[in-house]
Amino acid sequence: MIKLLHNIWYKTAGLTAAAMMVMLAEAGAQDAGLIGKAHFQFIEYPDFPEANSTWGDIGFNPKDQCVYVGVTNHRNKIGWYVYNTVSKSIGLKGFISDLGHLRPFQWQGKIHTKVVFDRQGAVYFGTDGGESREEYLMDHPKGYAGGYLMKWEPAQNKLVNLGMTLQYESIKDVDVDPFTGKIYAITYPQVHFIVYDPATNNMQDLGRLGSAHVPRVMFTDQWGNCYYVDWRQRLVKYEKSTGKLVFSPHSLPAFEGTPGEHIITGITGYAKDHKKGEIYFVTYGAKLVRFRPTEHGIGAVEDLGGVYEAEGRERWRYYVPNLNIGANGKLYYIIGGHGNFAKKDRTLLMEFDPETRRHRTLHEFAESELSEATGSDIRDNEGNIYFAGRKQLQYDKNSVHAQKQLDNGISVPFIFKFNPDKQLQ
Amino acid sequence: MKQFISITALLLCTAQAFAQYTFFEPKESFAIEVSLDNTTLKRLPVYRNAVSALAVSGDHILGGTSAGEGLSPFIFVASLSRRELTHMLDLGKAIPGQRSVAAGFCKGGSVFYAGTIANNEAGGHIMRITLGSNGQPVVKDLGIPVPKEGIFSLTANDAGTMLYGISYPKGIFFSYDVARGKVTTFNNLVPSDKDLRQLTHEYAMEPEEFLGKALVTDQQGRVYGSLPVNKLFRFDPQTQQFTILDNYLPEVWGRRTLGQVEAWARAADGKLYGGNRGDGQLFELDPATLKMKNLGKPVMMNRLRALSFARDGKLYGIGGGQPGYAHLFSYNTTEGFRDYGNPQFTLVAPGLEQGIAWRGFQIGSMAASADGKYVVMGEDEALSQLLIFAVEENK
Repeated sequence: MIKLLHNIWYKTAGLTAAAMMVMLAEAGAQDAGLIGKAHFQFIEYPDFPEANSTWGDIGFNPKDQCVYVGVTNHRNKIGWYVYNTVSKSIGLKGFISDLGHLRPFQWQGKIHTKVVFDRQGAVYFGTDGGESREEYLMDHPKGYAGGYLMKWEPAQNKLVNLGMTLQYESIKDVDVDPFTGKIYAITYPQVHFIVYDPATNNMQDLGRLGSAHVPRVMFTDQWGNCYYVDWRQRLVKYEKSTGKLVFSPHSLPAFEGTPGEHIITGITGYAKDHKKGEIYFVTYGAKLVRFRPTEHGIGAVEDLGGVYEAEGRERWRYYVPNLNIGANGKLYYIIGGHGNFAKKDRTLLMEFDPETRRHRTLHEFAESELSEATGSDIRDNEGNIYFAGRKQLQYDKNSVHAQKQLDNGISVPFIFKFNPDKQLQ
Repeated sequence: MKQFISITALLLCTAQAFAQYTFFEPKESFAIEVSLDNTTLKRLPVYRNAVSALAVSGDHILGGTSAGEGLSPFIFVASLSRRELTHMLDLGKAIPGQRSVAAGFCKGGSVFYAGTIANNEAGGHIMRITLGSNGQPVVKDLGIPVPKEGIFSLTANDAGTMLYGISYPKGIFFSYDVARGKVTTFNNLVPSDKDLRQLTHEYAMEPEEFLGKALVTDQQGRVYGSLPVNKLFRFDPQTQQFTILDNYLPEVWGRRTLGQVEAWARAADGKLYGGNRGDGQLFELDPATLKMKNLGKPVMMNRLRALSFARDGKLYGIGGGQPGYAHLFSYNTTEGFRDYGNPQFTLVAPGLEQGIAWRGFQIGSMAASADGKYVVMGEDEALSQLLIFAVEENK
């Protein structure tokens, strides 16, 4: 029996070693130098044992130099966390239902929107049903009441409920015009583009822009105009000077053969190069794009190629729900999640140089280290880059993370902090 | 792929597998992209394309749209066989100053009639639409039947010689003699001052919520519709008399004020089927006995915006709407109601050859082809499309 077990271990170890050789060979083919774990930090969320996920709801506030994250149990509790990038401390400010004075029938499943900031440092986000009760009960009294726009005032540690956008609808993403304070939002499942002015309480519903899926990302330019995509993956701009939508006549770049369900999903992450006045984004068809916005009209779009290339695999088939830009001007993103990996069960941290258009695999993570990361354009004053990450573990009732059960396993959320140019530990 | 389309579903798939819905998937179904802004393709522009009037004539789907305030609507034609928009006519060029093809289409022989609501104060027009051999629509302006009023609802007798309508916002009933171009108006349905106070003040309702939104004629040419509060009427063209059927609309206790018929369909046996906007009930009205039967609600939400019979003998309709979501349903006496949910069909168009899923959330109109094979639904959105499915023949 012992001999049998030894043989199994030996063969398994042999396979693992072989797989590692292949992995390293593949990495070496794209990689001029791996970045080690000293460049990373995994910052877990305290005081919320059943927290199990985050959904792009992360942002960096340059005013107070804090990273804000909404962390959920994916049922009815959303913890509001602040990580101070100067003191390197993280704390739970409270739960959204309590801070926002919500009743049980106004339950919220998660924050899906990114966290954005106005010029005074006020913090904005929207809430989301985010679970089967919204998905399937729809417009029933037992279903989802609708998502709220929320404002956090850091100086007062106070959450202000700015009210609902559309009844029964979640809010998938928001952005803010830093000059006027107007909030842009996109709703789920009807894909309605909303413009809300907190100063006057005036809310405009500019109508449905999508098809059967809601693109998850909107973003603003340096003038405060807001961008989204329609079902043809054409940029749609809310031009603040006219208060109207401007539709690009052209679809964003896509690989030949990209399925329709990838086209209609639009943009999944973006990052802004403020010095150059350029915005980079990644599509659900795995294209990297450089966009040069103009104050009026749609700006120029440049196809930078794919996020990753592996022989024998369709170039559109990579999932990148995040994008950041380093102080060095290079793009950083993490491929993988929701069962969609570039390499089997491996999550890849990538670097892309927009000038040379070369990408490198900086590090490969097992799902038990990092299974998925979200977040767009989050970098602190020290050049550290942040993602809302999580790792996937097999369910074990004796695990210290047993309360973080999600699906059939355990999902442990954390802030993934990374610096490409220096070690953090 | 589906995992991203429904992230929540993926994460909780084991727990909720029993609860997931499936979309209605008839053997033949498709969506036609008729709206897209800023394109070289033939498409209706944003905010001018909510499909408020529909009819099917042979291979041609005839549509009339509603536009945002100050904008002009379109008359358009799409091809069932080619699955594309073939003609679009800016109504502002044919009849300036109109905002909405609010009422129609009613068929009179080989032509169609519709009524408009205007952007200006002059009033809405009656128009006659004919389709050329290639489906090209030709609009003839028949004038303003009720000055300073729009046309909120319109129907025709079977011969197409008489039109009947209700004006907006006052609710004046009118008849229009097609051959003579003569209009006769009646104030019998105009809400009393007392009712208006209750409706507009106590219940904060607007005329579009309480005036009769749909009209139908029976096999004897008598006209039926609703009026506030919660009443049905019948107009007899022979005697020029109205019969008011008080408290005739099905109601949920306490919600009489919301009663409004917004869709009608006439069955082959002559019975009339109506949809009550207030709580979304379907009801049957027998013109011979004037007995009304409440058939119940296809979905939980209010609204019942459209009804059409198809070749399987079933009555198809749209229940629900803003702030909730439209559901396609069917009804017959043996099966009762069947809810198909939000219709979602595949849309293929130039540049989208691989196809995308198009899901209907707000549907404002419906029409069946003359043979009952195709049921066409028109969206009521900022950018609206057509959703179409073929109905199987009864075996």
